[in-house]
Amino acid sequence: MSITVKDLVYIYGEGTPYETLALDRVSLEIADGEFVGLIGHTGSGKSTLVQHLNGLLKPKSGRVFVGDAELWAKGAKPVEIRKKIGFLFQYPEYQLFEESVYKDIAFGPANLGLSKEETDERVRESMAVVGLDFDAFAQRSPFDLSGGQKRKAVIAGVIAMRPEVLILDEPTAGLDPRSQRDVLEMLERIKADRRVIVILISHNMDDIARMADRVIVLEKGRVALSGSPAEVFAHEEFLHSIGLGLPPVTELMRSLRLGGVDVEGSPLDVDEAEELLDRYLRESGARRGDRGKLI
Amino acid sequence: MNEFTDKNAALARAGGRLRFFVRAAIIGAAYAALTMALAPLSYGPVQLRVSEALTVLPYFTPAAIPGLFVGCLVSNLLSPYGIVDVVCGSLATLLAACGTFLLRKRRALAPLPPVLCNAVIIGAMLYFAYGVNASLPANMLWVGAGELIVCYGAGYPLLRVLESRKSLFQ
Amino acid sequence: MIRDITIGQYYPGDTPVHRVDPRLKIVITLVFIVMLFVTRDFLGYAVAVAALGGVTAASRVPPAFILRGLKAIFLILLFTFLLNMFMTTGTPLVKLGFLTVTREGLYGAVFMGLRLVLLIVGSSLLTLTTKPIKLTDGIESLLKPLRAFGVPAHELAMMMTIALRFIPTLLEETDKIMKAQMARGADFETGSILRRAKNLVPILVPLFISAFRIAQDLAMAMEARCYRGGEGRTKLHALKMGRVDAVAMAFTALFVALLILERVYAGAIRAALISLFLV
Repeated sequence: MSITVKDLVYIYGEGTPYETLALDRVSLEIADGEFVGLIGHTGSGKSTLVQHLNGLLKPKSGRVFVGDAELWAKGAKPVEIRKKIGFLFQYPEYQLFEESVYKDIAFGPANLGLSKEETDERVRESMAVVGLDFDAFAQRSPFDLSGGQKRKAVIAGVIAMRPEVLILDEPTAGLDPRSQRDVLEMLERIKADRRVIVILISHNMDDIARMADRVIVLEKGRVALSGSPAEVFAHEEFLHSIGLGLPPVTELMRSLRLGGVDVEGSPLDVDEAEELLDRYLRESGARRGDRGKLI
Repeated sequence: MNEFTDKNAALARAGGRLRFFVRAAIIGAAYAALTMALAPLSYGPVQLRVSEALTVLPYFTPAAIPGLFVGCLVSNLLSPYGIVDVVCGSLATLLAACGTFLLRKRRALAPLPPVLCNAVIIGAMLYFAYGVNASLPANMLWVGAGELIVCYGAGYPLLRVLESRKSLFQ
Repeated sequence: MIRDITIGQYYPGDTPVHRVDPRLKIVITLVFIVMLFVTRDFLGYAVAVAALGGVTAASRVPPAFILRGLKAIFLILLFTFLLNMFMTTGTPLVKLGFLTVTREGLYGAVFMGLRLVLLIVGSSLLTLTTKPIKLTDGIESLLKPLRAFGVPAHELAMMMTIALRFIPTLLEETDKIMKAQMARGADFETGSILRRAKNLVPILVPLFISAFRIAQDLAMAMEARCYRGGEGRTKLHALKMGRVDAVAMAFTALFVALLILERVYAGAIRAALISLFLV
């Protein structure tokens, strides 16, 4: 199951005084099981782009393929395709509406037309995936939960549909550190499973660098960069120029360089950075014979 | 006890009243927003407004009485309807909301006031103002039938489902 | 999706028509509508059409916008027209199957139809040339005298103002909620009435939670700024009559006079016109 987008164009508010070109002929391909990080400055078109993938938005022109099915082809049913794609919006707690966590999570499977037994299985399964204890939470009202618990309940509701594609728009936004870790660990587990495509929109470059197989950078409605995290985050100046940051460690190396320290490389994590700095110190230490001064 | 505590007491009382009206206003805004969001069904000659199902709201909170009135008024003003429609429709909604509120102990009857009020008032409007030449009773029956379908077909189930979540309106 | 809809009917402009005091505009529109029912024949309607044409021209609103209002009542208009045409007894003109078109029927159909059109167009001009907030001010002012009878004019205006302010906000909320539930497979388009009513719950519950939270914050904010109701409260933009209004009143008086004269002397006028055209 792959996703293909060809020359996608979308215009907001066509015909009104607020007309804006949101997507300017975007093309991309996502392979089966890939974990894609989607980054871009506010207004670059990230949310708009992903909303095309499950048919919530209809393009002005261009084609979208989910698996073999072309969305918006004659006779295609967006509703059917939506069932294969799990979408987690930003701060999604407003989705909760049922009397109990169980019923709310069951909403998705129910819409899929599953039997009571199947639904029950899905609810239990997804609560386990997100780390919500079934006995403790299933019968509670979703409105009584804490922020982190609500987020997990919503994620469970999305996962319960067993989507083939999981799109998450800043899933850790607004969460306390513990819950953030929980969500990220859950994503790692899903990634390890390799059965779904994951598209993660995030401003946290560290998470993206760590988890993504591929990073796509959007700028003003166009794909500016696409490649592995190492490839993309090497374009330090460009990313800064469009208002994006780098993983903290990469920023550190960049700051060192700007400060006159002649160190090379764009490391993505602490271990890499340590290696590079170590090498630098050894080499320059050997030249200068004077390690102490540099620290 | 001095002038400050008196003022505070007055403010506190005014606060409750203010909260009531602000709530009503927001209910009205929600009514209008829903009407517009589900638009293709709402503004038509066959008044299958999904928001007609919302006429059961006074069953849960009295703030819905002025709320629905304002919502109807405002959403009519924002739509290409005639003034006659605006006035008649809003008044019908107001009277119906009062009725539903008064019937809040009798669940099965709660959706009835909108049916009656709209049938009579809108029916009369169609006959006298809009010149729909079928007899007056025929007009009233026509409107009444439409309202009956929406109010009991959509409003009543909505009422039942929301009942378990009454705390929402507290 | 929903962002594409411009809220309301107002067509921006700075014409004399736009500048007339909203209270006066409301009253004039009501007078116009009353006169539509006072007039009994096409001659009177001709005056009305001329009047509307003049105001439309002065307001510089494109005709397409004026006609939008007619789209909304198209079916009612059709109904009125057909019912009058076929259901009126009188001298038969044409027979279509088992339906007869009578002369009275045709006359009535056109007459009633025209009246409905004039009614809608007249109202449209009001909403096209007056901002909703100004309409609210006008309504409040007009209803003030009724406070003695218990009509809460200020509270009503305040509620309308707040509702108007928050409709776009709640529309966005509704859009957000609908998309989120649609992403979970909810279907709001197909299904029986019962089905669609039940499908409202995933939208209604979150929407009202949001709405009541907004209401609470707003009430607190208003209290914090010492809002105490309408007593002694002043306005930033108070309504004031000006020259445009005097002119508008004059034209309206002329309009009413013409139509009353027309009604009273209908017979004589008709006779005069007939003799004019026969000579």
